[in-house]
Amino acid sequence: MFPKLDPLLHSELRLAVMSILAGVESADFSFIKKQTDATSGNLSVQIDKLSAAGYISVEKGFKGKMPCTTCRITDAGRDAFDNYVKALREYLLQ
Amino acid sequence: MTASESLALITKTMNESRKDIVQRSGKYLLLWGILLTVFSLLVFSLWTATGQPDWNLLWFVMPIIGIIVSSILKRKEPVSLPDNAISRMIGGIWRSFGVFVVSTAIFTLLFAKFGHTLGAVAVAIGLTPTILLLFGMAETVSGIAVKNKAITVAGFLTGIGGLILYYLTASNCDGAEEILLFTLAGVVLAVTGLIVKHQNK
Repeated sequence: MFPKLDPLLHSELRLAVMSILAGVESADFSFIKKQTDATSGNLSVQIDKLSAAGYISVEKGFKGKMPCTTCRITDAGRDAFDNYVKALREYLLQ
Repeated sequence: MTASESLALITKTMNESRKDIVQRSGKYLLLWGILLTVFSLLVFSLWTATGQPDWNLLWFVMPIIGIIVSSILKRKEPVSLPDNAISRMIGGIWRSFGVFVVSTAIFTLLFAKFGHTLGAVAVAIGLTPTILLLFGMAETVSGIAVKNKAITVAGFLTGIGGLILYYLTASNCDGAEEILLFTLAGVVLAVTGLIVKHQNK
């Protein structure tokens, strides 16, 4: 039987965001936007969804005079991401 | 998305952010390599021209300039890049190298100046070979971190090769000429920066 894929991660943009955050300590909104080529509006919505699920934490602050949003993967997010990758591998092996 | 498309997306996204982040490390290695080359040539020239070893104090200006230029470059980055395991390791290695070298230089100078016996020991060990060894070690570990054999070997050759060269030539050359070993180290560091940048384009 195939393992169930996490529906929250099975979206192109959310998966890309999680892939970026899985490899770094934390990342600015602008960096994630550049890496994903997403629009600010769409990215904000997807980040909110990941944050609401407890997969990432979002910190709003300032860098100098500029507002800055910093995202960080949480332990729950890392577990969900690992499980998602494991499930994908199982799909491909079967 | 199919399973293979999802895995491909994960791999592509992770690789691209890793490359962007590690490429930045290359930029800073290049900066410090250029600074080391310029300062070693400057100290060598002034020392040779005037016969005054006091020009070595110019070395303490190098980290100040390096830190200022680094912070300007960082501020000018269009997007603030995060740190990953590799960039953190490279940064840590070279920051530790800097702290070790500056501390060793300061303590050697202080002990030697105040005629402490430890100063004589430090001078006997030699500041140049000590720094060359530390440099070679830092360079080799950086090469291992970015998985580049050329950098790893260059580190070994600069550290151990520089040490051998120092012992072979120490009796024949004056202190000023020793400085040229740091020019070699500077060129190696700048080339390392270029390799890291190019490798992650």
